[in-house]
Amino acid sequence: MSSEVVIRCRNVGKAFQLYARREDQLRQALFGFWRRYYKQHWVLHDISFEVRRGERFGIVGRNGTGKTTLLQILCGITKPTHGSVEVKGRVAPILALGAGFDLELSGRENVLIGGAILGLSSKQTSQRMQSIRDFADIGEYFDQPIKLYSSGMGARLAFAICAHVDADILIIDEALSVGDQAFQAKCEAFIADFAKHGTLLIVSHALGYLEQICDRVLWIDGGHVQESGEPHEVLADYVEEMTGVPPADGKPHKVRRKG
Amino acid sequence: MIFGLPLERAWHFRDLIRVILGRELASRFRGSALGWIWAVVSPLIMMAAYTVLFSGVVTLSRSSAHQSLGTRSLLIFSGITVFNFFAELLYRAPGLLHEHASFIKKSIFPSETLAWIAVLRAFVYAAISFGVLVVFKLILTWQLPWTIILVPFLVVPLIMFVLGAVWFLTALGTFTRDVVHLMATIVPLFMFITPVFYSFTDVPVDVRPWWRLNIVGDYIDLFRDAVLYGTVNAASLTLYGICFAVSYVVFRLGYAFFMQYKAVMVDVI
Repeated sequence: MSSEVVIRCRNVGKAFQLYARREDQLRQALFGFWRRYYKQHWVLHDISFEVRRGERFGIVGRNGTGKTTLLQILCGITKPTHGSVEVKGRVAPILALGAGFDLELSGRENVLIGGAILGLSSKQTSQRMQSIRDFADIGEYFDQPIKLYSSGMGARLAFAICAHVDADILIIDEALSVGDQAFQAKCEAFIADFAKHGTLLIVSHALGYLEQICDRVLWIDGGHVQESGEPHEVLADYVEEMTGVPPADGKPHKVRRKG
Repeated sequence: MIFGLPLERAWHFRDLIRVILGRELASRFRGSALGWIWAVVSPLIMMAAYTVLFSGVVTLSRSSAHQSLGTRSLLIFSGITVFNFFAELLYRAPGLLHEHASFIKKSIFPSETLAWIAVLRAFVYAAISFGVLVVFKLILTWQLPWTIILVPFLVVPLIMFVLGAVWFLTALGTFTRDVVHLMATIVPLFMFITPVFYSFTDVPVDVRPWWRLNIVGDYIDLFRDAVLYGTVNAASLTLYGICFAVSYVVFRLGYAFFMQYKAVMVDVI
């Protein structure tokens, strides 16, 4: 593949600031220029990879290994502590447990806000409102406050918004797992269609689905890139590591690069 | 452009600001029977209460002895209109990011626009209060000074000043909840050292220079000159120039402070 690189992640590391005392946060804000009042807790170390236009790129790893943080960095929600990230094009993120919704507002109102956050004008969002409503398919709940939604309904709405913002890059974090079969099928159909022109980055524990859809998979463990490459191989190694049992097709164990 | 980057960013996100502002305004009175009437009624009640209190019960200002009840209530109401605009935002700013935590953590949200939304929302209420003041003034005196057309020139630096303050307090309040309690303590005290219930000329001459350091009081003073008395002279223009300069500095510094910590705030919220 020789198409343009749309996501370039170079030596990205992320440390969260851990404060021994609550008031140290204030001290840091006021005097942080001169002194450091926190300990660093590293969750990502030296992550480097590239994704090209039109690729379907999967990320796997156990819980708490920094996948979501990595996606947040790619979306621009938080900044890496070192390293650099370049992302070209409009990103639509569908993060775990619903997108950024105001729980007091109705689905319709959140669609207006979500559209504006992702760069649509309010006119564009209004024009697409019916189509978004049809896609989410949550009936009368569309005009109810989000706080009344089930997690599945929230995911439906979040996905429906992101499916309508003309994104160049779609970033999906575990959002599909809470949807029912009908909605998952709809999302998968959309993703298959989207992948014809857009770039897809997907974090999931549904390994079968990843293997089926992705061109490439990145396995992160303990904040390090453990392995990256062809989905079948990477996922087989990941399963083996997780369960301690080599996969059924008996692929020989590979020596992996550690940290 | 003179106002630079902060304004460019706000313009870029104008649709987002408009949508959230519209929803916040609509939802504030949703579920209340009188709805928008509250925005008019509550400043009126406050004015009535303070007028009665400071004319009958307590004699606060020296000049009040030979002031009519109407003059005094206009004085108090104009003070409350400006001061409430500040006070509401000072109370709200430290928790602003917590209020919208879900946007900030889960979407690519330009958090600096929250200050614009909060300030514009408070400004809408201030504008309603101002409308009530003008009507009240007309009823009482049957005239308005021509200088009332200068009010927009006051509004510009006033909004810059509060924006800067909100950015600064929001950033601080995100790092420590203490700022919320601090504001709850400071703002009521602050009201008494600000010429809200009295006029600037009631302040003893020897401490007046110190009173001038309070920019909120200066804005109230300028506001009264323009709306109530129609006195615009060299002294008030100088004061205006100083207020404008200070406000501009606060605006830029507050923005810079917020943007400096913007990325870190996502991690601590």
